[in-house]
Amino acid sequence: MDRVEINIYAIVGNGFCVSAEDGQKVNEQIKKVLDRNIGVEISFKNTEMLTSAFLNTAIGNLYGEYEENMLKNSLSVTNISNDDKLLVKRVVDTAKAYFKDPDRFEKSIKKIMEED
Amino acid sequence: MSNSVVENIGDIRNDFDSFQKLINFYHRNKDNVFRNIELKLNWFSANNCSVLGALLSILQDNLNAIQIDAGLANNILEKNGFLSFFGHNIRFDNFDTTISYKILTPHDERFFNSYIFNELLCKECLPQLSEPLKKKIAEAIYEIFINAKMHSGTKKIFTCGQHFPAKKKIDFMITDLGVGIRESINNRFQSEINAIDAIKWAVINEHTIKQGVSGGIGLAILQEFIAKNKGELQIISNNGYWKLDESGIYTRTFEKEFPGTIINISVRTDDTSSYVLADEENVDNIF
Repeated sequence: MDRVEINIYAIVGNGFCVSAEDGQKVNEQIKKVLDRNIGVEISFKNTEMLTSAFLNTAIGNLYGEYEENMLKNSLSVTNISNDDKLLVKRVVDTAKAYFKDPDRFEKSIKKIMEED
Repeated sequence: MSNSVVENIGDIRNDFDSFQKLINFYHRNKDNVFRNIELKLNWFSANNCSVLGALLSILQDNLNAIQIDAGLANNILEKNGFLSFFGHNIRFDNFDTTISYKILTPHDERFFNSYIFNELLCKECLPQLSEPLKKKIAEAIYEIFINAKMHSGTKKIFTCGQHFPAKKKIDFMITDLGVGIRESINNRFQSEINAIDAIKWAVINEHTIKQGVSGGIGLAILQEFIAKNKGELQIISNNGYWKLDESGIYTRTFEKEFPGTIINISVRTDDTSSYVLADEENVDNIF
């Protein structure tokens, strides 16, 4: 599959990839490519700081709009430390679980109230 | 009736009783308008400038004039810039142990980046700390800031910290004056959860109040880091108090409500845990 590299640093404008708003900009760029049936290689080169909020909007929310299998075949990462890879994986796993059952949080609130 | 109120808060440390004193001080004065409030401090743990500054900002919005006699804490509260908001001079920090008091808006992310870089991450900052630990502390602080910004609806965020080289720890506090965790959850899910259960729910991995989007990892990441570091994490929201330290999780209820949320971390700087995964370790199948 053809792949286009998306450079997070260039989209955010600096190495601090922390806010959900900046994550949304990355999300929109990724979707532009995916919608043309082209794969995306997400480059983390020169990023200094990543937060879960940034990654949730940049990558996690893709799982609410595209099939899991399609994303598995279309997305890859490069220039990223193993630590940051783990954070991306955690965000992705959370997103997969959430979009499979968005209502389960209401059940979890009832459960925590019942524990008292 | 006298137009002046004298408030002697006494010692303020990082514990339940101190937060209770600050909440009581707020409730005694929250309906005052056009008063001169003279506040006397004694021992004052500098990171608490975050919560005190937040409460005083509400009283100032009611057009009260605040004067502070900081007692034993005068030097440190001039060095971290807190007292400059109340007519004092800023004193040079010759020991470089303060982490400045700041009032930010939720949109001040770029400024917050500079703040974190200049006070925590720069090469000359906190030279005793390993670079991975510094980065981990900065990440934890970002997660708190972003959490306040995204979930509370606050207009201002109050931050302050303090480095204790001899005690080998850094304290850092972020306070918002938003709706609080309990109200956020109850508004979102039409539930009637109490403040302590609300905090318990919010720190569980994946739990988010955002609708239609995934998330809810930030506070769980923070909790895991503090547990590994053997530090301390305190969350105060509405009338709930939740603390994690080496002995486990401890909760209590305040007599009255705090008008927002406080997150306070105490990080051990002598932590020798590894925060870097070896490059050889395989992290595959991300997607």
